[in-house]
Amino acid sequence: MNDMRLTERAVDSKDVKIAARKVQVFYGETHAIKDVDVDIDDKTVTAFIGPSGCGKSTFLRCINRMNDTIDVARVEGDIHLDGEDIYNPKVDPVQLRAKVGMVFQKPNPFPKSIYDNVAYGPKIHGLAKNKAELDEIVERALRRGAIWDEVKDRLQEPGTGLSGGQQQRLCIARAVATEPEVLLMDEPCSALDPIATAQVEELIDELKQNYSVVIVTHSMQQAARVSQKTAFFHLGYLVEYGETGQIFTNPKDSRTESYITGRIG
Amino acid sequence: MPTLWLVLIILALAAVGYVVGRQRALASSGGNAKLLHSLPSYYGANVSFAVIIPAIGLLILWLLVQPAWIQNRVADMIPEGAIPEGATLGLVMSDVERVATGLNLAVEQGAMSEEDASSIRTEFTDVRQRLGEVGVALGSNVDAPVLRAAQRYREMSATGNTWMTVAVLAAALFGFVSSLAVTKAGFRARNTVERVILIMLMVAASIAVLTTLGIVLSMLFETRNFFQQYPWTSFFFGLEWAPDFRGNSNLSIIPLLWGTLYISFIALLVAVPIGLFAAIYMSEYAGPRVRSVAKPLIEILAGIPTIVYGLFALITVGPLLRDYFAMPMGLGESASSVATAGVVMGIMLIPFVSSLSDDIINAVPQAMRDGSFGLGATHSETIRQVVVPAALPGIVGAILLAASRAIGETMIVVLGAGAAAAQFDRGLGELVNPFEAMTTVTVKIVSQLTGDTDFAAPETLVAFALGLTLFVITLGLNVLALYIVRKYREQYE
Ligand SMILES: Nc1ncnc2c1ncn2[C@@H]1O[C@H](COP(=O)(O)OP(=O)(O)OP(=O)(O)O)[C@@H](O)[C@H]1O
Ligand SMILES: [Mg+2]
Repeated sequence: MNDMRLTERAVDSKDVKIAARKVQVFYGETHAIKDVDVDIDDKTVTAFIGPSGCGKSTFLRCINRMNDTIDVARVEGDIHLDGEDIYNPKVDPVQLRAKVGMVFQKPNPFPKSIYDNVAYGPKIHGLAKNKAELDEIVERALRRGAIWDEVKDRLQEPGTGLSGGQQQRLCIARAVATEPEVLLMDEPCSALDPIATAQVEELIDELKQNYSVVIVTHSMQQAARVSQKTAFFHLGYLVEYGETGQIFTNPKDSRTESYITGRIG
Repeated sequence: MPTLWLVLIILALAAVGYVVGRQRALASSGGNAKLLHSLPSYYGANVSFAVIIPAIGLLILWLLVQPAWIQNRVADMIPEGAIPEGATLGLVMSDVERVATGLNLAVEQGAMSEEDASSIRTEFTDVRQRLGEVGVALGSNVDAPVLRAAQRYREMSATGNTWMTVAVLAAALFGFVSSLAVTKAGFRARNTVERVILIMLMVAASIAVLTTLGIVLSMLFETRNFFQQYPWTSFFFGLEWAPDFRGNSNLSIIPLLWGTLYISFIALLVAVPIGLFAAIYMSEYAGPRVRSVAKPLIEILAGIPTIVYGLFALITVGPLLRDYFAMPMGLGESASSVATAGVVMGIMLIPFVSSLSDDIINAVPQAMRDGSFGLGATHSETIRQVVVPAALPGIVGAILLAASRAIGETMIVVLGAGAAAAQFDRGLGELVNPFEAMTTVTVKIVSQLTGDTDFAAPETLVAFALGLTLFVITLGLNVLALYIVRKYREQYE
């Protein structure tokens, strides 16, 4: 009996990577996130779904404190990463963001060469001892971003000269190059064709072996394909959170069901 | 009819044309605007343009050509003998014009009847006195040929003006009628208006370009005169600036150019780091409250007249640099120095660099910064590696603008660095000593053109050669900047 409880607890505490309690976000007067409680597991893919403007991106940005850069934004409540409060004044948001990487909703490559875009993070964090190592990191990241074959002959060309979908994959490569523990992806496949989408999903699957991945998506099929857990947001509330299979086959809340079947959106 | 009235009539006609054109277009489609090719207002605008453009164009052309043409005709009336010793036909002709204006004034004020004005003769009337009474002072007595020429001048102007009025009004009416005639539902008024607007914009652009060209050409002309009297090799490669109005001057640009570049260099050394850092602080770190106070304060620096900066250099900075730096270090004892002018000029240039760079840094999209922050970069890493590189073309532009200001600045140099040209024969030590007095090209241009000048002497004409050289240098600087920016863009955008 005792043993059982112990193992159960061990599994639980190892598994929860991010724990959020009573999170509120305000943009000036707008109350964008209301009372969100959620536990995001380690080595899992969690999908955030919900209609446009419901606060998915906003909540995602709370996890790596990107909301700090928005003057009007105010975050309340607790978010713990590995049991540590990330909004504690002692926490350095810069270090936090090195651990919690992000792919933004709109691709935002730097006005630098493709190589420098990917090498940016590793250089800042001193991940490579020499040029050869850096080359290796860049190549690996670009391969994982499913864009290596397209850019391997033009690494010195500007990243901004790529197509929209290529830019998005470049940004994915840039984010994985720093080897974050958590990867937040805000609609990473919105500009990708089915082949590139499949490649990115493969990457997500691979990342899941070691990291925790949170992905915002508007595609139910994608959420169902890649995620183990799904959270449904509506008007700033986290309406339902659970196993992906359960959410899609047997939602408890009527709003979730309406959204999944296409009645609200 | 006075020209002003003529213009007003044309404008009124244009306004009427707008209304009528609009109505006619609507009427042609039976009141249904959807059947028209363009919006009704385009038909109105089309008629207005057809009234204004030819009429005003003709008016301007006429006003430009008529005086020259009349002068030409009247000049024939002045016999060789009537031109006094030492004067030219041009001087006599300006006398003729003055007398003609005087007669006009006299008639206007009622001091002379119209008939008197055209019939008075020098033999019977003291024209000089009569005109003096109405406020037109003449330098000498009026000769008979001059008076007759002036009277002829008046007559011709009067007829010319009448014809001008007739012609311009005819043009306006023709435009009115002919454009109304084509105003029908199928007429593409929108495209016509579009084309007219395009042409107007092109005219504006070409005026700007032609003015530049005109400036260069006028300088070129005088510069050629200069080089006919002074060897260009000595001008460009000589090492001494020693003008002497009695002749035998040494007029080399090198000592002046050295002063210009040295002072500008020090000015940029002051302005670029301070301006750039201020801009970065303002746009990246300062809160909205600090920003709203500090930014206008910095920009006030740009509004201070340069002569005030000059006084600041003369009274404060010069003695300060002399007493605390130059004298203790044994580098000189003059308050006028390259360093004084350079530092003060640098202060003047800070707002140029900072406010332009500030705008440019603000224009870098937030998404760039977010991308960098999201990878765990600090604020200053983000600025150094993402924001500044992205803004670099604009920053280079701002610095070059500051550089061309520095090269062209005169007042601060006169008061801060003196008016003595660098002396190459005293050795390198003095040339590079920042506490030595020196002067620049622009200061010498001013001093060669002030006072009693003889526009045939090389000592005066050298000013044009200096100006043209300076122009070429700044042009080269701009081309270089464009090249750098373009090269950089290819790499990064
Ligand atoms: N910077 C901001 N300033 C003010 N309000 C904002 C800001 N960003 C988002 N909001 C508001 O917060 C709410 C949630 O926005 P959020 O971007 O999180 O939506 P989302 O779920 O990501 O939508 P989408 O699927 O369209 O990306 C919206 O009502 C939006 O108007
Ligand atoms: Mg979003």
